[in-house]
Amino acid sequence: MIMADKISIVINGKPREIPEGTFLLDAVRKEGITVPTLCHHKDLMPSGTCRLCICEIEVRGKKKLVTACNYPVREPLEVWTDSETVTRHRRILAEMYLGRWPNVRAVREIAGLCGVSESRFKGRYTEEDPQSCILCGHCVRACREFALERILDFAGRGIHRHIAMPFNEVDPHCIGCTSCAYVCPTGAIQIVDDLNQPVDPQMIRDHGMKVNAEMANLDPVQCRMREVGTANIVDVMNQYDLLPVKNYKYGSHPEVWKIDSKMLKAKYFTQNMPDGCWKGCSMACAKTIDDFELRTGPYKGQKVCVDGPEYETAAGGSNMGCFDADFIAEFNFYCDTYGIDTISAATTIAFVMECFENGVIDTGVTGGLELNFGSGDEVLELLHQMARGEGFGVDVGQGIRWLKDKWENEYGADRKFMDDIGMETKGLEVSEYVTKESLAQQCGYGMAIKGPQHDEAWLIFMDMVNNELPTYEHKAEALHYFPLWRTWFGLYGLCKLCWNDVVPADNKMTSEPQKVPDHVNNYFKFVEGMTGIKLDEQKMLDQSARVYNLQRVMSRMLGYGTRRDDYMPYRALGPVTAEEYESRQDRYDKQLREIVGVDPEGRSTSEKIKILRDYREDQYDKTVSVVYRRRGWDDNGVPTVERLKELGIDLPELVAIVEKNRG
Amino acid sequence: MITVNNRDELSWHDGMTVQDILDVMGYTYVLIMVTVNGVLVHSEDYSGTKVPDEADVRVIHIMHGG
Repeated sequence: MIMADKISIVINGKPREIPEGTFLLDAVRKEGITVPTLCHHKDLMPSGTCRLCICEIEVRGKKKLVTACNYPVREPLEVWTDSETVTRHRRILAEMYLGRWPNVRAVREIAGLCGVSESRFKGRYTEEDPQSCILCGHCVRACREFALERILDFAGRGIHRHIAMPFNEVDPHCIGCTSCAYVCPTGAIQIVDDLNQPVDPQMIRDHGMKVNAEMANLDPVQCRMREVGTANIVDVMNQYDLLPVKNYKYGSHPEVWKIDSKMLKAKYFTQNMPDGCWKGCSMACAKTIDDFELRTGPYKGQKVCVDGPEYETAAGGSNMGCFDADFIAEFNFYCDTYGIDTISAATTIAFVMECFENGVIDTGVTGGLELNFGSGDEVLELLHQMARGEGFGVDVGQGIRWLKDKWENEYGADRKFMDDIGMETKGLEVSEYVTKESLAQQCGYGMAIKGPQHDEAWLIFMDMVNNELPTYEHKAEALHYFPLWRTWFGLYGLCKLCWNDVVPADNKMTSEPQKVPDHVNNYFKFVEGMTGIKLDEQKMLDQSARVYNLQRVMSRMLGYGTRRDDYMPYRALGPVTAEEYESRQDRYDKQLREIVGVDPEGRSTSEKIKILRDYREDQYDKTVSVVYRRRGWDDNGVPTVERLKELGIDLPELVAIVEKNRG
Repeated sequence: MITVNNRDELSWHDGMTVQDILDVMGYTYVLIMVTVNGVLVHSEDYSGTKVPDEADVRVIHIMHGG
C-alpha cells in the first residue's frame, strides 16, 4: 500500500503536518476553523463554484487567493483563512448571494457568518422564494457521482443559468433515485411520490445515500468495484498465495499479470465505466468487453459482447493453468451463452487436467484432446462438446463426482487420488479460492449447505492472515454468525456487495470491524423503512436460523445433510503431492516443527505429507464437532429437536426426519 | 523482536515503521487496520509511525469479496 507523504503547512500562524493531496478546506476545518461554503458537500467532489471558501495562501514566496475546497495541498504553504483580503471578498460574495436569494435559509446563514445582513444588489433578478435553486450544483454532482448518470446539468448563461434535464423535458433515463433531492440544500428539488409506499421513505434514503456517498468517495481507494469489479481480487489473491493455480495445487503464479485486473482494465474492459446489474446501482461492479472477436465455436469470427469476466471466472482460468485473458473472455462468453456455470466448468476441467497429466485418463478417454494444464484451445473444444452433447464433453458436463465414479468403475482409476484432488463436496465443485492455510475457510466450504461455495462464510483473511480465530470456539462462532448473516441477504433478496465491498471510513474504529456494523445497520434500516419492522442482530440471526436449519433438514431429505457430507477433499486441507509440498516446503516444515511438534529433518517428503495430513484432518474433524454444537446440531450434523423447537419450526414432518438421523 | 498478529515474529531495528512491517509481510491489501500495542494507527501515518521493540502489532484485513 502506498501511503501519502506529509506536507508541512502553516494555518493562521500554527504549523501543521498534513497528508499530501489533502484539500485545503479539509485541513483548515480539521483545526476547528469555520470557513463558509454554499457549494461544498462532504460527500461530493468539490467544485469551487460559490467561491465563499476563498483563502489567502503563500507558496514559494508568492501570495494568492484560492478556493480552499478544491485546492489540493502538494507543497509547503502558509494559509490565512480570515485575512483582510479574504474577508472583503467573502463579504461582497455574501452580499451578492443575499441580493439574489434573500429568503433562502442557507444563504442567510452564510451571509450572517460573513457579517452581512443586507444587500445592495436586490433588483429584478431577486428571487423571493425561500426554496429557490441557488445553483450550488450539488444535484448535478450527485447525479454523476452517486447515480453515475448525467440526467441533470446546468443550462443557460449568466443570469439565465439554471438546472435542467436535457431540452427541459423529463428524461426517461431518470429512475427517481432521489439523490439530487437528498443533497439539495434549499428544497428546490422535492420528491413528489414514493413508489411501493414504504413506511418511512426518508429512513431508506438516509441510509441508501450513505452507501452512495461511500461508493463515490471511498471505492476508488478501496476495492475499485466501479473501476474493475470483482476482478480486483485476482491481484489480491495472487499476492496472498490464495489464487487457485492448476487445480488448487498452488496459490500464485508469475504469469498472473496476464489476467489480473490491471490487464483486464487496460486491454479488455472496453467500456471502462461503471456498469450496474440494475439501473441506479451505485456500486455498479459489472464489467463488459465489447467487440470481442471469437476464435472458436458456433459464433467463430463474430464480434460479441462479453459480460465479465468476474473474479471467479478469471481465477477459473488460472485454475486450469490458462494465463491468457483472450481465452478467459471466450470461455466466459461461451459458458454464459450455453448456460454453463463458469466455476463448476473450470473446477471440473482443472480436475480432468490433473488426472490427464497423471495418467489417470489418456487421449483414449478424452477423445483425442490433449488436456494438459494451460491448453486453452482444448478446453474450448471440450466446452463446445459439452454444449452439443457430444464426445468427452458429455462426461465432463456431469461434474467431478460423476467422473470419479465412472473412471473408477470403468477404468479402475485410483479412487483415493481422485478423491484427494477432485475438488467437490456434496457433488458441487469448489469455487475459486485456495483454502489450505485456513481451517475456518475449509469448514466454511465443507459445511456450506448447498456445497462448497463461498457466499456462506469467507473467512480466509480473518483466519489465515489476521489470526483472529485462534481457537475452535472462535472458528465456530464465525461459522455460526457469517453463514446466518449471509443467508439473511437471500431471505430479503438484497445484494451482499454493499455490505463489505465498500466500508465506512471509520469502520476500523468500531468494536467488530469484520461485521461492518454500520452497514449491517443500513440493511436493518432498509427493512424497517420499507416494512416498519425493527430489526437487531439477534432478530436477524433468528430469522436466518429458521431458514438455515430448514435447509439443513431438507438436505437430509435429499440424501445429504449429515457429517459425512461436510468433508472436503484433502487438496482443500493441505498438499496432496510431493510437488505441492516441496513448492512451499519452508512453510510446511516450519508448521511441522512449531505446530505439530515433529522435526522434519531427515524425513522424506511423503513421510512429512502423511504427518501433516493426519494433523490437519484431525483439526478439521474437531472443528466440525465444535461448529455443530454452536449451531445446535448433533454430532452427525443434524439439527436437534430442541433447536427446531427454539426456532419455532418443530413441524412433525421435520421432527420425524431429524429423529431418524440422530447422531 | 516484534510480533505481528500474535503469531509472526519479525526482527526489530531502530527506526522501524509500520510501513516497513507491511512491506516485509507483503501486506498490500487495501482494507486493513493496524494497531501497535493496541493503539490504532491511521493509514496516513504508516510511514511516520515508529514501532518500538517488543511491540504487539496487529494488521487486520477486513474481508471483502467472497
